[in-house]
Amino acid sequence: MANDNPSGGSSKRSRLMGIFWSLLFLAVPVLGVAVFIVAPWYDIWLPKDVSEHGKAIDGLFMFILALTGVVFIATEVLLFWFLWKYDAASATGPAKYIHGSHAVEVIWTIIPAATLLFLAIYQMNTWADVKMRRPAMTPSVEVVGRQFEWRLRYPGRDGTLGTPDDLFLVNDLHVPADEDFLVQLKSMDVLHSFFIPNLRIKQDAVPGMKIPVWFKATENGEYDIVCAELCGWGHYKMKGRVTVESRADFERWLEKMYSRQEATQPEPLSAAEGAAVALTQ
Amino acid sequence: MKSQIVSRTFVRLHSSWAVTACSITLLMCVPGCGSTPAAWFRPNMVEATKQRLTPDQERQVATVMLAMFGTPDAPIALPETGLDEAKLQLAAGPVHSDIVGRKNGLYREHCAHCHGVTGDGLGPTAAFLNPYPRDYRPGVFKFKSTERSDKPTHEDLVRILHNGIPGTSMPSFALLSPPKVEALVEYVKYLSIRGETEIALMRAFFELDDEAQGKLPETREFLVDEMLTPVTEKWKAAADALIAVPEMASDLDLAASIAKGRELFYGDKANCVKCHGPTALGDGQANDYDDWNKAIVEVSKEVKSGVERAGETSTSGMDSEALAEHRGQLAWLDKFGRVLDGGDALRPRTIQPRNLRHGIYRGGRRPLDLYYRIHAGINGAPMPAAKGTVPPEEIWHIVNYVRSLPYELDGELGADRPMVAKDRF
Repeated sequence: MANDNPSGGSSKRSRLMGIFWSLLFLAVPVLGVAVFIVAPWYDIWLPKDVSEHGKAIDGLFMFILALTGVVFIATEVLLFWFLWKYDAASATGPAKYIHGSHAVEVIWTIIPAATLLFLAIYQMNTWADVKMRRPAMTPSVEVVGRQFEWRLRYPGRDGTLGTPDDLFLVNDLHVPADEDFLVQLKSMDVLHSFFIPNLRIKQDAVPGMKIPVWFKATENGEYDIVCAELCGWGHYKMKGRVTVESRADFERWLEKMYSRQEATQPEPLSAAEGAAVALTQ
Repeated sequence: MKSQIVSRTFVRLHSSWAVTACSITLLMCVPGCGSTPAAWFRPNMVEATKQRLTPDQERQVATVMLAMFGTPDAPIALPETGLDEAKLQLAAGPVHSDIVGRKNGLYREHCAHCHGVTGDGLGPTAAFLNPYPRDYRPGVFKFKSTERSDKPTHEDLVRILHNGIPGTSMPSFALLSPPKVEALVEYVKYLSIRGETEIALMRAFFELDDEAQGKLPETREFLVDEMLTPVTEKWKAAADALIAVPEMASDLDLAASIAKGRELFYGDKANCVKCHGPTALGDGQANDYDDWNKAIVEVSKEVKSGVERAGETSTSGMDSEALAEHRGQLAWLDKFGRVLDGGDALRPRTIQPRNLRHGIYRGGRRPLDLYYRIHAGINGAPMPAAKGTVPPEEIWHIVNYVRSLPYELDGELGADRPMVAKDRF
């Protein structure tokens, strides 16, 4: 049919295409914002923060999200607007060529540069808290990443790692609540990343290095430890668990585990089964 | 007219998109549509070839095994095995959710990439690991609370799954729920019983009299009572075969005990030094193999010398019978060479005596675990049992000495800066 009415038909179709593409591009910011709005209801937002320093990290995250969000929406709406307004079907006049605008270029260079500089300075204190101002204490535990598990070593009663009263465990980290906790992170084989989302902790474990990681957990409960650095075929199941509990419970648990480690007689069957349940509940 | 054009345009748009979408869906579907081939148990070709089974005999074993044990997707637990079929179902098959929403296929999810679908230690990642993953088929397990030749108890296997085996590639499954661990342990037993029964069947051809015409009797008496039951009896007996561990004397002076343990370590009676070395770094005798590797080493030698002999043999003076035998031998050597080079065996590796300064204990670090290891030795490995030669109280001395080794100050090397040996090595 287009051949019967070449000019009218093709311009109509062209206009329709213009509307289609403009709306498609408008859908990007609309859906993008909608996902963020409904996220909390579908439980796809950040996992619950149970750490002391997490507020600062989440604050930074939200601030940067808002900043980039505004720019994202503005850019996308502008894109839509250009698509709509300068549709070839309606804008039939000749194109205008310009040869750059010094003022505009200076503005779009200075504003992002200033923003980045501001962010770099603004986050420094948080970075220092999380990665540099290490609490003055001996390690509370040594965590060693290994394909595909987290091997743990508690210093035992003497508080020193590398002595005969060390407690050895795997995948089951216990932490006293509301206290500084210092992890000495190592890797036995390849790069791993020690990631506890609820504690807002993520640190690469590097073979040959002892890397300190610290946090203060504020809420009792059980949280996941996962590996956040592709470390081999079993990476996806390199999972551990951190249990935040009161100081008293923590001490009791340490005692129980240590006496189990020092066993010179087999445990009665019921107790062994109980242990299996305690380890895996 | 205009509306006609509009609608037509839409139709055209629609139809072209529909065609594209359909063809993309179709393309994506084609490779995925065909169901994956059913999993199968790989026959023990090393044993079959070693026993010089004919293709007919191999087929008979495969048929009998299928009838007695089923397939990896549908395992069968005969009542004589004492295995719980419900647990096996949970562990068997491809990873999927069953009718009540439980996750099935645990063995293939967690174990098969190393231990193989058959439990032959020949999974896809096996060749890259050191030590190699365990081959369950000979029914030999290292770390247990029973005597050297006994099977491990159920709790022994649960413990291994919980703790993993540090120093090897076996990770911990401590966070799996108890029913899942139970299912996996049951399935490992199933694979082991299956493997051992298969080996027994393959060896049984050798005992056949002429009347049998090279075929195993397919009777219940023979297959279940003579072949399967001896294997399962050992598994059932394990629970009551715990090593009795005498209490360590409560008034034991640790330093004195360690000193005595040291004497025993270097002495002729226990002679730990022979393999674990004068520095306990595991630098003693190191040219030995574990049983699994040794089996491959031995057949490889047999094949190699057979090939050499065959190369020197002249067929000119042979009568027809000798010639047929010679040809049979050549065919056997050729087949064995292909079995060893193919996917049925890994290149043998020597076993390293443990470096006792690391403080990494594969079978567990409890004093109890070390007592078991020294008392009963390590089945499948050159580590001998001290039972009988070393009295129990002296075994405790060795345990105490071994446990002190990672922390012993190394006088010579550490003179300038005190440092525990564990951190040095």
